[in-house]
Amino acid sequence: MMRMEIALILVLVFVAFMYFGADRRNTPLHKTFSALLIITPLHLAFDAATVYTVNHLETVPPFLNEILHRLFIGTMVIVVYLFYRYISILVEEETKKPVRFHLAARIYLILAELETLLLPVHYAVTEKGNYSDGIHVSVCYISTAFYLFLCLWLLLKNRKQMDRKKKAAIGVALVIEGIVSVLQAINPTWLISGMGITLMTLAFYLTLENPDILRAELTEQKMSMLYLKSQVNPHFLYNTLDTIRIQAQLNGDKTTADSLMRLSDFFRLSIKTDKQMTALENETELSDAYMELMCCRYPELEYSCDIDPDLGDASVPNFILQPIIENSLLHGLKNKGYRGNITVTAERSNHKQDCIEIEVSDTGSGFGEGVKRRIDEMLLNYDKEKPKTESIGILNVQKRIKLLCGKEFGLSYTENTGGGVTAHIRLPLVREEYK
Amino acid sequence: MRMLKVLLVDDEIMIREGFKHLFDWDSHGCEVVGEAADGMEALGQIDALLPDIVIMDINIPIMNGLKVIEVSRIKHPEIAYVIVSGYDDFEYCRQALRLQITDYILKPVNYEEFGSCIDNLKISMYENKANAQADSENREERIISSITRYMQEHLSEEISLSVLADEFHLNPQYISQLFKTEIGVGFLAYLTNIRIEKAKKLLLSTALSVTEISSLAGYSDYRVFTKVFKKTEGVTPSKFRREFLDRDKL
Repeated sequence: MMRMEIALILVLVFVAFMYFGADRRNTPLHKTFSALLIITPLHLAFDAATVYTVNHLETVPPFLNEILHRLFIGTMVIVVYLFYRYISILVEEETKKPVRFHLAARIYLILAELETLLLPVHYAVTEKGNYSDGIHVSVCYISTAFYLFLCLWLLLKNRKQMDRKKKAAIGVALVIEGIVSVLQAINPTWLISGMGITLMTLAFYLTLENPDILRAELTEQKMSMLYLKSQVNPHFLYNTLDTIRIQAQLNGDKTTADSLMRLSDFFRLSIKTDKQMTALENETELSDAYMELMCCRYPELEYSCDIDPDLGDASVPNFILQPIIENSLLHGLKNKGYRGNITVTAERSNHKQDCIEIEVSDTGSGFGEGVKRRIDEMLLNYDKEKPKTESIGILNVQKRIKLLCGKEFGLSYTENTGGGVTAHIRLPLVREEYK
Repeated sequence: MRMLKVLLVDDEIMIREGFKHLFDWDSHGCEVVGEAADGMEALGQIDALLPDIVIMDINIPIMNGLKVIEVSRIKHPEIAYVIVSGYDDFEYCRQALRLQITDYILKPVNYEEFGSCIDNLKISMYENKANAQADSENREERIISSITRYMQEHLSEEISLSVLADEFHLNPQYISQLFKTEIGVGFLAYLTNIRIEKAKKLLLSTALSVTEISSLAGYSDYRVFTKVFKKTEGVTPSKFRREFLDRDKL
């Protein structure tokens, strides 16, 4: 019989390995499941030990047998309690209402643990095998029954408010544990309580806790954060900015009014960046708005953008130009006190197929010692690089170009002979669809 | 040319104040005769004041701007409307086109560029009138209509007041004055308008490149053309083409 326990421990250790290796949200539900994954293998280990000791009463010292037995029952009560916790948190999350049994469940847990510790242990010796019986072992049956009924009650009471998948997971787990417990009670020599607990854990792991679901949850959380961020009504923003602009102009402050106008232009354009691909001229429009604002702040900055108007409708990945320009500003021109210029050009070229070459050239401080090599390496191994804060912008651009346009396209840097650097963005020439 | 009457409709007082004081209506031959802050008030004011031009916000209380236009069109088909909207949204553009809005501009309104919008209204009013009465008794009207016809036919060439003066054996100052009195806009504004209109037609009806269209419309430098086009239409030529073709497919 010990072979089954060992197999179950291996299964659970594997599950725990998978589970703890995955990123997950730090919620009470996942914390409870983590606790379950630690306690359950421990419990199974005690289970395996008692399966051995109870059948070798003659050779094992009685006190060792007793300690192992108390540990086995004690951890079992904790495991069943954790299942109750897990299910009650699930129900709370679904119904958004607190479950009222927490105090009763905790008091019962303490009582049951005290009983496990203090009540006398008795063994039944039969031909089929030995097992523990009497008042001590009844603690574990009563505990299982107690918590299973609490869970069943929660499930039935809130069945209408709960998601079908979660309901099914709880239902299956309860049915398995119920059947196994009844079978164990009828055939005390089978010693299958560990199997019930393992199956119950597996039921939750497979339905609600596997790494894919955890990852989906994480993404969903990130998405909903983004969603919440974008909930500031953009119309409110433009309209308010516009009102302030008109006020400034009515007060005779034309300069402020113009700056506010540029700012709302920039806002309007940057909020539109929800598509993956966009027309090149949308990109240059956003960059123009951005640079107009920057030139406003730093009057010695100059900017020019010259693209062939017939490339205006070329389809390019969204939001690739502004980060490159920002990079030139912050790493090139900032070191020169924002004196100098940035030039953006775009033209057709013909290597193997029709391409667009976009160049962002600056008259900044250029690359420092060894920086060029580091950037080249980073852009070459874009898929292996861990983003560092200083280069996250250009790395992100590189990744998106490679992903959306193909591996033969992308971003590279060269040094200008007269100082400063030029960013080259090579893209396939695809026209925006007239959709 | 008589003064054109303008009605301002916007629920925000600051926007109306801005329009009233920050745009030089006088020099564009217009005067603001009234204001309205909601749809019902706008309908009432239109009936009472019979404006030539209504500057209309879409998102106004009680009845939205498009609805107001739809209703008042029936009674006053001759009124020109300029939709001013913060909604950067095609649905509104499409609806506006169905209602034959004379112009559509987006907030934030640039008051320096708003003049060209009024000029365009005047030119389309003049063209409607010219089409309605083929032969005019008035000498000035006959001259200006032959000048404008000449300009339409020689758009891809260089046109200036002195070229016209030579062609029609008239004083350049006199021609310039004629534009002001008969159409209500300056010679250059008129020229720009018909060049851009021609470019728009070519953008939508041909597959010619922007550079080619630019020279057909009389701009030797496509950069200048793109700049002027963007200023009057709010979008670049290729975006204009793309968005209109998008709309047709829908």
